[in-house]
Amino acid sequence: MRPHALALAIFGISALTPLVIRDGFFLDSLILILMWGAISGAWNVAGGYAGQASLGHSAFFGIGAYSAALMATRWNASPWLGMLVGAVVATGAGLIIGYLSNRLKGPYFALATIAFSQVLLIVASRWRGFTAGSEGVPVPFRPGFWTLGFASKVTWVYLVLCLALAVYLVQVYLERSRIGYRLAGVREDEDAAEALGIPSRRLKVMAVAASAALTSVCGALWAQYVGFVDPFYVFSVDLSIRFALNAIIGGIGTAMGPFVGSILITSLETFLRASFSDVRGGLIGIYLIIYGCLLIVVVRFIPQGLVGWFGQRFRAMGLYARA
Amino acid sequence: MLELDAVTKRFGGLTAVGKVSFRATEGEILGIIGPNGAGKTTLFNVISGFYAPDEGRVLLDGRDVSKLPAHQICALGLCRTFQLVKPFGNLSVEDNVMIGALTRLPSVAAAREEARRMVALCRLEALAGAPARSLPIGLRKRLEVARALATKPRLLLLDEVMAGLNATELGEMVALIQRLHAEGLGLIIIEHIMAAMMRLAHRIVVLHHGEKIAEGPPESIARDPRVVDAYLGEEFVLADA
Repeated sequence: MRPHALALAIFGISALTPLVIRDGFFLDSLILILMWGAISGAWNVAGGYAGQASLGHSAFFGIGAYSAALMATRWNASPWLGMLVGAVVATGAGLIIGYLSNRLKGPYFALATIAFSQVLLIVASRWRGFTAGSEGVPVPFRPGFWTLGFASKVTWVYLVLCLALAVYLVQVYLERSRIGYRLAGVREDEDAAEALGIPSRRLKVMAVAASAALTSVCGALWAQYVGFVDPFYVFSVDLSIRFALNAIIGGIGTAMGPFVGSILITSLETFLRASFSDVRGGLIGIYLIIYGCLLIVVVRFIPQGLVGWFGQRFRAMGLYARA
Repeated sequence: MLELDAVTKRFGGLTAVGKVSFRATEGEILGIIGPNGAGKTTLFNVISGFYAPDEGRVLLDGRDVSKLPAHQICALGLCRTFQLVKPFGNLSVEDNVMIGALTRLPSVAAAREEARRMVALCRLEALAGAPARSLPIGLRKRLEVARALATKPRLLLLDEVMAGLNATELGEMVALIQRLHAEGLGLIIIEHIMAAMMRLAHRIVVLHHGEKIAEGPPESIARDPRVVDAYLGEEFVLADA
């Protein structure tokens, strides 16, 4: 069980928290921590495991959010169906962007994905007849499981915890399975992987598509939780950066890295927003400066991220085998 | 089993490989020599599917593989190493080799076992858990060979796996190649170290300015005036005589 020690601790504490604490603000923070962690984990499938670091993942997040919201408002369909439709559309979008940008690496791939998310932003904010344009889409609250309407934040904690666990398991699979090892080969050196019989391009496209689908599922759930889809938020570059940032700070290419990153970043943001909101409104933006500093410190001093760094410390102390 | 039929590869106006034809038969060790820039590595890139030839064909067991991508050629039983080694730097030596083994084996457990065998065969056991980037160049070359062997090729293309090795490492590599050959593996070897080439190769193909200028058994190649002129130099013949 040692390899899962960190996951057990974090997910276990998350599962037990609602039994002890019923404070709405606190539970809301927990839900957001798990949600952003899960999305960063979905990002990590392409960015960490396949080495295709995207800065346009908000595109897939937005596709999921819009699918669930529009299916519910326009056709009165279940948001679960919307989530499925979003996943299918995002898979298609992932296949296309993955295929078109297949030969692009590093910053060039990142730029291509940013462009893609910005195209979707323009479509969503201008296509008034379908998406309601820049006004955004309010998601109707209809209580019940099939309509994904839960008044209780406790229910949301467990729902998002399931999502987080699923994303965690997908990542663990990528660390241990045949396809995961082959993908690691592609990430490390594409030519060497090809020479060893690995269809590198196909694997990369598949990874981007899988990452897109997972991100979209998270986006659909997020839309149901928050209750409003604003194109300028869901397709923003800021959001894409947040997805990448959690994973980078926590540990890129590690299954728990995105969650550790999310704990740090999300609680920091929540704390700063809460403590600066009433009196000194102008200071809200300060969390962006702190993000930036944190990112510089991590990239400069612990490029492998917090999970990798603590893993090394613990190994040195003989506490456990793997983070 | 491998046949090149008037293979030509151009880069813009430069003909890197021009109308090169030869065969490599089952279980043979074929050497390729020639001065720097003669087109040896380009030829490997064409054979292994990294470049498609502009003209001519590459036949593997009679099948035209000229247009196939590299990973399919590997699946057909032809694997190559890289002159500028390309280890999966952040992965352990064993994982590096295992990724090769996974091409033939569907299960990670079976591939790991196979990887352990290949790591032992190439005498890298002591470093099995070390990240590949921590290896010195001599051991990286051995890792290239171990990883390629794990894909279970019938024909292995070695691109200067002996360059930069010390005398002991060189002896070990020669012994390894002899052992693989004894087990029935066919090899095509690019090498500048003539002493090793003379010992290993059954036949040698000589490239110069992208063209084949000679082909034959090592003894006759060493005395061929065109080869001496283009590559070996007078001293080699004198030293050899």
